[in-house]
Amino acid sequence: MKISTKGRYALEIAVDLAMHADCDHRESLKNIARRRGLSEKYLERIVKMLYSAGIVSSARGVRGGYCLAKDAREITLLEILEASEGELAPVPCLTHRPDCGIECDRCPTREMWGDMWQIIKKAAGEVTVADVCTKSRFNLY
Amino acid sequence: MKLSTKGRYGLRALVDLAANEEGEAVSLARTAQRQKLSLNYLEQVFGMLRRAGIVVSVKGSGGGFRLKRDMDDITVKEILEALEGKFSIAEDAGEDTQDPVQNALRDLLWDEIDRRVNQFLQEKTLGSLVREYRENLETGTIMYYI
Repeated sequence: MKISTKGRYALEIAVDLAMHADCDHRESLKNIARRRGLSEKYLERIVKMLYSAGIVSSARGVRGGYCLAKDAREITLLEILEASEGELAPVPCLTHRPDCGIECDRCPTREMWGDMWQIIKKAAGEVTVADVCTKSRFNLY
Repeated sequence: MKLSTKGRYGLRALVDLAANEEGEAVSLARTAQRQKLSLNYLEQVFGMLRRAGIVVSVKGSGGGFRLKRDMDDITVKEILEALEGKFSIAEDAGEDTQDPVQNALRDLLWDEIDRRVNQFLQEKTLGSLVREYRENLETGTIMYYI
């Protein structure tokens, strides 16, 4: 059970945007990719997911680029992970119709997996992008 | 983010076995039937549980598997570790990095999730899952007869 690079890079992009851009000074993917040491092509895919989820805003043109769509204090890491990883459920039957052959209300373990999922969501929902900036010793405000 | 079928099916089968054992070995074929799992697969999984000291195999007619210890002394953490390895949500995320952002994410998020999940799995025993399972089955039966 692992978070993929998609989720990890999505978090790094959001933190990078909080540190290096605002909506009057948008940032290019090229600069984010260079600072983070990541491929621009891959970042583009991830940024699209963050854009669809309303976490980043984008603009075209000479002063175009990306910035966070909301205050960094109002974006939780859970939102970013859900936008990029799809879902954080440890087992698929929590979010999809199960194909295991037994009834969910007779399943010996489904409730426990559900509790585990809640623990993961709660932990990720308690931390904001701004918290990560502060912890990285970067002064946002 | 998904657990493999070893952890998912193995734990489910182990709860079934513990709920049905009553001091005697339970045939894996019956557990496979009740839980709609492949017997071949369960044999592999129970081999891992046996090597981890969670179940013992009993040979002969009426043979099968039984728990090696009291079910309240077996934690879900040790069962999943035997089947899946240690739980870590982002194992190699910035383990030896100098990057302040990756370090901050590890401290605030990855390590915190690991700590909370492992604590939950450590406090959850096989016994508690078996009792929940029995209650669910009883409720199910009552509903059925009403």
